[in-house]
Amino acid sequence: MADDAVLLRLIAAVARGDESALKTLYEQTAPKLLGVILRIQRDRSAAEDVLQDAYLRVWQNAGSYSPEAGRPITWLCAIARNRAIDVVRRKAEVQGPVSEDGEDWVERLVDPHDSEGAILGRDALRACLGRLDAMQRDCIVLAYCEGHSREELAVRYDRPVNTIKTWLHRGLSALRGCLDAPA
Amino acid sequence: MTPDPDERDLRAAEYVLGTLTLTERAAMDLELAVDPAARAAVAAWESRLAPLTLTAPEAVPGARVWQAIVEALPGTTSRTGPANDNRVLALSRSVRHWRLIAGGVGALAAGLALFIAVGLRGPGPGDARYVAVVSSGGEAPALLVSIDTAAGTVRVRPVGAQTPTGRSLELWYVGAGQPPKTLGLIGKDAQRLALPATADALAAGTFAVSVEPAGGSPTGQPTGPVVYSGKLIRE
Repeated sequence: MADDAVLLRLIAAVARGDESALKTLYEQTAPKLLGVILRIQRDRSAAEDVLQDAYLRVWQNAGSYSPEAGRPITWLCAIARNRAIDVVRRKAEVQGPVSEDGEDWVERLVDPHDSEGAILGRDALRACLGRLDAMQRDCIVLAYCEGHSREELAVRYDRPVNTIKTWLHRGLSALRGCLDAPA
Repeated sequence: MTPDPDERDLRAAEYVLGTLTLTERAAMDLELAVDPAARAAVAAWESRLAPLTLTAPEAVPGARVWQAIVEALPGTTSRTGPANDNRVLALSRSVRHWRLIAGGVGALAAGLALFIAVGLRGPGPGDARYVAVVSSGGEAPALLVSIDTAAGTVRVRPVGAQTPTGRSLELWYVGAGQPPKTLGLIGKDAQRLALPATADALAAGTFAVSVEPAGGSPTGQPTGPVVYSGKLIRE
C-alpha cells in the first residue's frame, strides 16, 4: 500500500475533481478497504456495494479531509467502516453468535500483513488492549472489527444489553486512559 | 442537562466502534456535521483504534465496482455543461449522491434533506439577529430562517420549499455537546418557533432542518441524512 505522502497528494487531487487521481487512489487502497468492509458485511456482493458507496463519499468529501484529523488511510478506512456499519445496522436483525472460532484480531496486531505503514500506534494499542478485562476487550474488538451490535454481543455473552454497554464504556475509558497517558 | 464531556467522548467512541443504535448514529451524524468538538473526538478515536482496522486482510474487488463508481460520478453525463460554481457543484454532487444511495427512501432524496446553520456567535449575548437562506440543490431559495436571540425566536418562512410527499420538515437545535433537540415541524406558512435556550447558550449552538416521516421524527432524534450545510449570516 502507498505511503501517507502519496495518499495525501491523491486525496488533494481528488478534492479538486481529478478523476484519474480517484482511480489511482482506488487502485492503491480498495483492497484494504474491501477487507475492512468484509469483516463487517460478509456477503461479498453487498460488501462491494458498500465499497462503491465509500469511494463516492471519498470523491464527495475529499475536500473536507484534513491531515491533522488523522492519517489518510485511517480516514479512508473510517469511511468504509462507517458505510458498512450503517448498512448492517439498517438490516436490524440480531445475528446469533458466529459458530466458528473467529480470527484473533488483537493477535494480528503483532504481525499485520501490512507493511511498515501500519506500525504506527500498533504496539501501544496492543499493550493497552492487553490490560483490559478480557470480556471488555473482546466486546470492543468484536464490535470494531466485525461490526457486532450491543444486542449481538448481549446474545454472544448471554448478558443484558445494558451490561454490554457498561462493559464497552468501562473498556473504552480504560483504553483511552492507557493510550493517552504520556509514554 | 449540562453537557458531560466524558459522556460525549464515550458516544464518539461508540460511534467509531459502531455500537450505537441507528437512532443514536443518526443523531451523532448530525452532531458531527455541526460540531467541530464532536468531529475531533471521533477523529481521536479513529486514530486510537486504527491499527486494528489495518489488521483486516486485503481483498481485491471485482472490476464491476470501479465501473459502477465511474458511472455514478457526477458530471460524467454533463461534462459539456457550463462550468459551475464550486459550492453549487459540490451540492449537486451530494444531492445526486443521495439520489443514488437513498434507494428505497424515494422522495427523500429528491429534496433537500438537511441544512445546517453554523456560526451563531455574536459579540455579546442577547443582541444578535441572523438569517439563513436555505436552498435546495443550488437552485431557488427554499426556506428563509431568521433567528432573533434577543426575542428567543426562530422565524421560518418557506419560499419554494417542497416537502417531499408524505414527509415533514423538522427544525432542530443542537447545543454544544448535546443531542439534537426538536423545535417543531415546518409548515407551509411562515411561523415562529421558540428557541430552547438562553441567548448565552445559543451562541454555542447550531440549527438544522431535516426531512422526517410525516408528523416528525418518530424517535425524537433526526433520522434524515446530512447532505448540505450552510451558514447563518448576521443581519
